[in-house]
Amino acid sequence: MTAITEKQNTARNKPRTPWLNTVAGETAIQAGVFVVLLLAWEIATRSGVISPFMLPAPEDVVRRMADDLASGVALADLGRTLWRAVLGFVISAVIGIPLGILMGRFALIKWFFDPLISVGFPMPKIAFLPIFILWFDVFDTSKIIMVVISAIFPIVLAANAGTEQCDKWPVWSARSLGASKAETLWEIIFPLALPQIMTGLQIALPVALITTIVTEMMMGGPGLGGAMMTAGRFADTQGVFAGIVEITIMGLVLMKGFEALRRRLLRWQPQVRE
Amino acid sequence: MRDASRSAISIENVQHSYVLRGGKEIIALQNISLDIQAEEFHALLGPSGCGKSTLLYLIGGFIPLQEGSIRTRSGEVTGPGLERGIVFQNFALFPWMTVKQNILYGLRKANFPRKEAEDRAREFIQLVHLTGFEDAFPSQLSGGMQQRAAIARTLAVDPEILLMDEPFGALDAQTRRIMQEELRAIQQRTKKTVVFVTHDVQEAVLLADRITIMSPRPGRISHLIEVGLERQSVEDMLAQPEFTAKSEHIWRLVKDMAESAMRGPA
Ligand SMILES: Nc1ncnc2c1ncn2[C@@H]1O[C@H](COP(=O)(O)OP(=O)(O)OP(=O)(O)O)[C@@H](O)[C@H]1O
Ligand SMILES: [Mg+2]
Repeated sequence: MTAITEKQNTARNKPRTPWLNTVAGETAIQAGVFVVLLLAWEIATRSGVISPFMLPAPEDVVRRMADDLASGVALADLGRTLWRAVLGFVISAVIGIPLGILMGRFALIKWFFDPLISVGFPMPKIAFLPIFILWFDVFDTSKIIMVVISAIFPIVLAANAGTEQCDKWPVWSARSLGASKAETLWEIIFPLALPQIMTGLQIALPVALITTIVTEMMMGGPGLGGAMMTAGRFADTQGVFAGIVEITIMGLVLMKGFEALRRRLLRWQPQVRE
Repeated sequence: MRDASRSAISIENVQHSYVLRGGKEIIALQNISLDIQAEEFHALLGPSGCGKSTLLYLIGGFIPLQEGSIRTRSGEVTGPGLERGIVFQNFALFPWMTVKQNILYGLRKANFPRKEAEDRAREFIQLVHLTGFEDAFPSQLSGGMQQRAAIARTLAVDPEILLMDEPFGALDAQTRRIMQEELRAIQQRTKKTVVFVTHDVQEAVLLADRITIMSPRPGRISHLIEVGLERQSVEDMLAQPEFTAKSEHIWRLVKDMAESAMRGPA
């Protein structure tokens, strides 16, 4: 306890402590918050205030996760979910970024897609699931398409906004140095819009993950979402909680990894923190 | 000195208006006709908002010509061209590239071999006194340093015509003086045609062969002045009584015009 207080004091005296600004430093602080919450949870269940059937103790959940990992069940489900979420996310980015940039540069393309996006973004995409199952399959394709049509909107909007807010001078400079109009799209406008694009991707990433889990829960079969539904049907609360924790950890790792990538790619930006 | 065959940029009857969001039209340039000679250092002088940047953008081919024509020795201006290099008033560096990468971008576009491009980049970084900052990003530089990097990027690809929009506006007095001398030396050595926008009368007189004075609302040419001073070192020029007289004369013209513009109809 004293150690923690001391550390906080040093941090307060020197607000520019560099480790605070690193991904590792931030993760350490966030992990601390979770340790406290987990402790409260453990105490609540151990003391018998809450029945372990309703809320299993963290220790039991961890043991269950370890068992599932050892038997390979968890890894297969995790891998399947991760594959769907990441592939859907990557497809969204590959389509969404160029589309957003083109919309920002060509009025005709903007006119065509703007209404589609206004209608599509607020629409609950999950309502299309029965149709997708009919059109595609009950396995990966329908789920990945569901992820794409959910995650693509924030990406397109961010790329479009980033493009429209680009200064004209860097673009003109490139043109006068010999770049063609088409070349400036990729060489100048894309990097200029990258800060906003990265923000859009950071919003889209959890959307992709959530959509994957929800579709899996609705359709069953392999994957974390399906496994949790099955566990729920058998009143296996430990199994459900193990799934929740696994999803959370996966999401956390993905988001942290992405944040690190963002800092790396945008290290040319003026430092707003510190 | 004025000889049509030596004309590097000929501007004829150019008008330009901007339409604001509400539909209101602003006439930025009206009736602009101007012949800029080859190897001439030409200054565009005038108060803020008189259309200097707009005229430069039109010569650069960055905004479409609405009326009139602009020709260079490479023909009618219809878009940006390699023979016309530009230094913008605002920061136009590529912010995700270091100083060196910014300069290399143009050199690579101009198909310089790798080794030669590197050497040239170093040479121009040295010219604008940015040695030691090759690997800094624009966000890590001061405004004046960014402007110097932009100047190096444009000079490195050696354009025949140099369009400069208040390039030294962000510099401190000493650096400004050094850059002025440097630019004049480069212009005399490489025989470039320079169109130089400024609202500093002394700078215009110091650098230019001829000065076009523009008046605002709508932007028009009000005077075309032959400077006709002997080219000497900057110190010697500043000490010349002719230099002071010329500056005074032009200063009065600009001041009268600015005053009448302020009094005149909106
Ligand atoms: N993109 C634009 N949209 C609408 N009006 C514009 C635009 N650019 C310039 N103007 C208007 O055109 C006029 C001329 O502008 P310009 O930028 O060419 O002036 P300037 O002489 O370069 O001024 P400064 O010395 O302040 O840079 C101004 O009245 C300005 O309000
Ligand atoms: Mg201007």
